[in-house]
Amino acid sequence: MTEIELLSWARGPGLQIATIIFVAGVVIRVFEILMLGRKANLAEAKGQEMSSGLRTMITRTVPDRTTFKRSSVTIVLGYIFHIGLFVVCFFSAPHILFLKDIIGFGWPALPTPMIDAFAVVTIIALLATLVNRLTNKVMRYLTNFEDLLTWFLTFLPVVTGYIAFHRIGLTAPSLLAMHILSVELLLIVFPFTKLMHAFTLFIARWYNGAISGYRGVAS
Amino acid sequence: MSEIKNEANFKRELEALDDLQQRHVAALFVKHVLPLSTDKRLERVLKTATDEDATEEELAAALKLAHAVTFDSHARCGAEGHWSDQAGYFVARAAVAAVTPPSHSRAGGPAWQAAMSSRMAYTSMLIDDVSDQHSAHTECEWQHQCLSEYLNA
Amino acid sequence: MSASIEKGINALKRQVDSTVAAFFSSCVHCGLCAEACLFYTETGDPKRTPINKTEPLRRIWKSEYTLMGRVGKMLGLTKKVDDRLLEEWQELVYDSCTLCGRCSMVCPVGNDIALMIRKTREGMAAAGQAPEGLIGATNRAVTIGSPMGVKWPALRAQIKHVEEDTGLKVPVDVEDVEYMLLLSSMEIMNFPEFIEAVAKIFDKAGVTWTISSEAFEATNSGIQIGVSDIAAELVQRIVDVADKLRVKTVISPECGHAYMAIRWDGPNLVGKPFNFKVRHILEVMDDLRKEDRLKIGSKETQKLTYHDPCQISRRGGVIDEPRRLIDMIADDFVEMPDGGKMNWCCGAGGGVSANERADEIRLKVFERKKAQLDEVKPDAIISACSNCRIHLEDGLEEYNMDIPLLSLTETIAEHLAED
Repeated sequence: MTEIELLSWARGPGLQIATIIFVAGVVIRVFEILMLGRKANLAEAKGQEMSSGLRTMITRTVPDRTTFKRSSVTIVLGYIFHIGLFVVCFFSAPHILFLKDIIGFGWPALPTPMIDAFAVVTIIALLATLVNRLTNKVMRYLTNFEDLLTWFLTFLPVVTGYIAFHRIGLTAPSLLAMHILSVELLLIVFPFTKLMHAFTLFIARWYNGAISGYRGVAS
Repeated sequence: MSEIKNEANFKRELEALDDLQQRHVAALFVKHVLPLSTDKRLERVLKTATDEDATEEELAAALKLAHAVTFDSHARCGAEGHWSDQAGYFVARAAVAAVTPPSHSRAGGPAWQAAMSSRMAYTSMLIDDVSDQHSAHTECEWQHQCLSEYLNA
Repeated sequence: MSASIEKGINALKRQVDSTVAAFFSSCVHCGLCAEACLFYTETGDPKRTPINKTEPLRRIWKSEYTLMGRVGKMLGLTKKVDDRLLEEWQELVYDSCTLCGRCSMVCPVGNDIALMIRKTREGMAAAGQAPEGLIGATNRAVTIGSPMGVKWPALRAQIKHVEEDTGLKVPVDVEDVEYMLLLSSMEIMNFPEFIEAVAKIFDKAGVTWTISSEAFEATNSGIQIGVSDIAAELVQRIVDVADKLRVKTVISPECGHAYMAIRWDGPNLVGKPFNFKVRHILEVMDDLRKEDRLKIGSKETQKLTYHDPCQISRRGGVIDEPRRLIDMIADDFVEMPDGGKMNWCCGAGGGVSANERADEIRLKVFERKKAQLDEVKPDAIISACSNCRIHLEDGLEEYNMDIPLLSLTETIAEHLAED
């Protein structure tokens, strides 16, 4: 297979397969959760479930001071790479063009030097996250194969994207193919791992807020 | 001085005592129920409580000791409670009250607190007594009598 | 109560609902929950990380309720839940957790980890893996009516003592009153002056109330050990009597888990809403305060701080009421660092203090509370749970700290205005 053929495949069938598995997987996982349902609460309510749930979905993003002091490294690194991924994914010109093809509209991109900076910072943050995971006593204890796999599958697209964009090493088509394939790999594995938290955390946070809010506690 | 006739009277007279007197009277109350406790350390506490010349350090040490006895004798949450053992717990609490400096004492003063805890010690002992003939009032009456004699002396 | 691993696994299965599934799906192994848990922060042992305590439940969720997990099970790739796992986890689930819920407040993806641990206990208990102390307490609760073996004659004796002391009548088995007071065995045995305090407060406020000779026990051992059937039976006793006496409100006393059991779990355990309200004694006193029926005549002069009992405060919702009450009787009040809904657990609730095997760790984790107190340096600590009180006193004694523990209810009673 030539590199052009590989790139075509990655952009075509590869992307289709990955997207189908990703969407189907996410839907199944979310359905699996919601169909279990939960029993209605028969106790006399002191507060509101719905508003408290919605509130927690947002406020849980901000840690309280004591927690921040105790886990600052984990929290700060987490924020950096999440924000970095978000910016690089959705505000780099090539990505916006790619998405425009699919959804029909685009939006202004950030200047390349800025995207570059975010990408580099994200890569460094991800590496630091790995180090943290392997040296922090608690994280080391909790870490399993899945944690390392998902880290790798998240890391790969950022690195291959940066390399492809700056044409380092191989020829442009090969580099691009690698980047797209790495994203497809991530999409395929995504629903089977903790990466599902990207979707399910909204459900979890809602439940948390609802349970607490019912009792009159803002969580 | 007249007889102590009722509770209100009793409490008032106790509160009117000075610090040293409170400690003495409290010690008398504790001594009366001491047999309900099996912890020998309370004897040492009582000795300090009745000592007129006890220094602040000695009283503090006695307080610490009395506290230790309460912790060792209280019923643990969820454990099977034995009321006869609880009697010992309340005796220890009475001893704590006796050697607590009045400024730190709970409402009513050391002597009143010692009186209450001593009565509870007696009540606890009675709980296992199936005959149900006695009442804690016996201890109450004894304490009134005790205070009357002390004031008249 | 015959136990077996099969019963344990089935019990765990019954515990999985959409909340459990959402929580396990979202956990990213970030470890933040560990830093919220005093059993980790004071021991440094990572196996005490809260989410780790739920491992038996997680395995069941994975292998039974996810497509992937079920496929894995068919291929023989699942991690099993067996006696060995549960035995190893006993110490984590019972000795190293009070269900305080700090972890649930801190998890960035929103997991209510304390709830998950509570659910895990259901499996542990059904498999016979609960600590001896708790099993004994639960048996006594079911057969005698109190986990500590307190029977009605004992309570009646304490009541008689209270009546003699105060000159007030303690109403027993009276129908059609506003309030029915429950009591915890700990209060009856160790702090009977609580009954006296309530009698005085209610007398001055003109409240109609009663205690029931048939169902006076507030403590719910079923909740602590994690056997919902038993917890339900204990709640039903209270419900039956409250209905019989036609009381408007049942009062939960100064005991943390008792409040959670009757106020929030109660109707869900017995499967029906209550015909009466449930309020904590602090809520009742706060209501009296609002209605101007609580007249205060004197104040505390010492520097006070408040220890929030976890099940009443963070997990129970009664956070502001005690502070408004303290405001009435104290001029010098200072909050502990993290005071309020994020306050640190005393370390003894949820069955930990009933478990002798956990004595050492219970005293060790007290160092977290000690650290808070070292910052505040209060003259006295106020709280509203007898178990917290005794354990804090224990811990203070262990570390040579001389700070008295006061009950909020008793302190209010002490400062009531004389007519």
